[in-house]
Amino acid sequence: MKRHILHTALFVLLSFMLSCSYSKKFTKNYYIDNEATLESIRTRYKALYEKNPFSLELKDKQLNRIGLEIHTDSIRYIYTFRTDEPYLLDTLYKYNYDVKAISDLINDMQRAHCTWITNLDYYEKKRRKFLVFLSVRDKKLNAFLRPEKYFTLAFFDEVQVYDEKGRLMDNEFPEQERKINGSIFRRINDKVYYALSTRFR
Amino acid sequence: MQLMPLRKANWLLFPYPYKKRVVLLLLSAGFTLFAKASPHEPLKDTTRLSTQQQAIAFLDSIKQLDSSRYWPNVDPRLFLFNLRIFATTPLRFYEGKGTNFCAYSALTYIPLNHDPLGFARFMVTLYQKGRAKMGKVMFRPSAAVRREAGLLKYKGALDVSPAGQIWFLILADHFKGYLNFFNRGFDKGDENTLWASTNFAKFNRMLRRLFDLKVHARGADLIRPWVSDIYGYLTERSAKGPVFLYLNNRLLYKKRHVVTRFGIPTHFVLLLDIYKSDDDKINIVYWDYGKRTLQQVDAPLLRKIIFGITDYSFKK
Repeated sequence: MKRHILHTALFVLLSFMLSCSYSKKFTKNYYIDNEATLESIRTRYKALYEKNPFSLELKDKQLNRIGLEIHTDSIRYIYTFRTDEPYLLDTLYKYNYDVKAISDLINDMQRAHCTWITNLDYYEKKRRKFLVFLSVRDKKLNAFLRPEKYFTLAFFDEVQVYDEKGRLMDNEFPEQERKINGSIFRRINDKVYYALSTRFR
Repeated sequence: MQLMPLRKANWLLFPYPYKKRVVLLLLSAGFTLFAKASPHEPLKDTTRLSTQQQAIAFLDSIKQLDSSRYWPNVDPRLFLFNLRIFATTPLRFYEGKGTNFCAYSALTYIPLNHDPLGFARFMVTLYQKGRAKMGKVMFRPSAAVRREAGLLKYKGALDVSPAGQIWFLILADHFKGYLNFFNRGFDKGDENTLWASTNFAKFNRMLRRLFDLKVHARGADLIRPWVSDIYGYLTERSAKGPVFLYLNNRLLYKKRHVVTRFGIPTHFVLLLDIYKSDDDKINIVYWDYGKRTLQQVDAPLLRKIIFGITDYSFKK
């Protein structure tokens, strides 16, 4: 009986250690391997957003249900569509979006397993700024008995401050840690930071 | 023991002749039905105790607001500017990203829409004197809260709204429910923790104490309201005036690709409208995060997410 408990404990410990190392390896390589795709998604999204603000969400694990948030000055519309329904394109057309460009963006997001893309605002020295926030759900990050994890990326327009461990810090008070959506972000390059999060938005 | 004859017992219970009894019974039944259909005078969205113009005139009359020793990190010019924005565009009032201020933000609809002048006066008094009274509540905010106002950061537009920060912080500092039991004093970062949280009873208590309202609430923190047709009920209530909803936010804004089996409510919104579209989906129009939101949901999801429904009317 005691041996049985010991084996179970060892198995759990080993799984935990393996899961941690896998995450680290994943985050180190994922952006480098997919930089072109992610940058392309981010650039196109930003260009489309500037014309007509919106956020996109892939709502299910099969990436077949699309969540569309349309932002206007006074109201935000939240719709959910299945990809096999015509309503998504109708809605994009109705709200004067570039239907083809957004369809292409959604297809690329599905291929790259991006679950959420949005433009987040933040303030520095009372000035409003934006960052593109993108989440990826990759099978390598998720396994049986492991809590759901997402690789979240923050794309800034300006160089950001970080500490010796590569953690994103406050631009005005560099000794203070800066969290986005409650997560600590780490440096990939001067303008791109990542976090592993249990939430995609 | 000797039993009283039935006829005599009836007479003691209803000391009126038979015809009168019938009339009284009918009247009472009619009154009950009427009371159920319309429990109180409905609040129209047009009910105003003061106007935006009065609030702006009051703010304009303050030529210069000196820095306050009670609120060392609040710039008086920005504070006045915020109050003006609250008065002119009340639906832009923003609770901040990642905070637990949603309940305080939702109830702010009442003073900003129905008494903008009263709200502006209250805020200016609070800024100048460090304490002020609203409804039955005398606010005397703690030193920690007074120091923090103006310093909240990375909360989106709340960063540049010290007046909004003051309002949220004093409400969270003053009102306590069981969720705040283990974290009652403010520490840095507590705007995101249980210190700022609000349970359903606390929310309704805040409404009753802050404003001269009759508050009618259904639901609880963990049990959904006992309403068979939630769409019909909300349609009826929201036709009379705005309705507050206590929701399971994880289902409304999904943040993980997992099936949530045990849902608890965590978010307050103000329902402004509800109607069905041609495909039988339900459109809910609610106010949160400084904007109106129109979201399409199906009937089972609507039923699943709602834990509390509160509507209100002004006392005569």
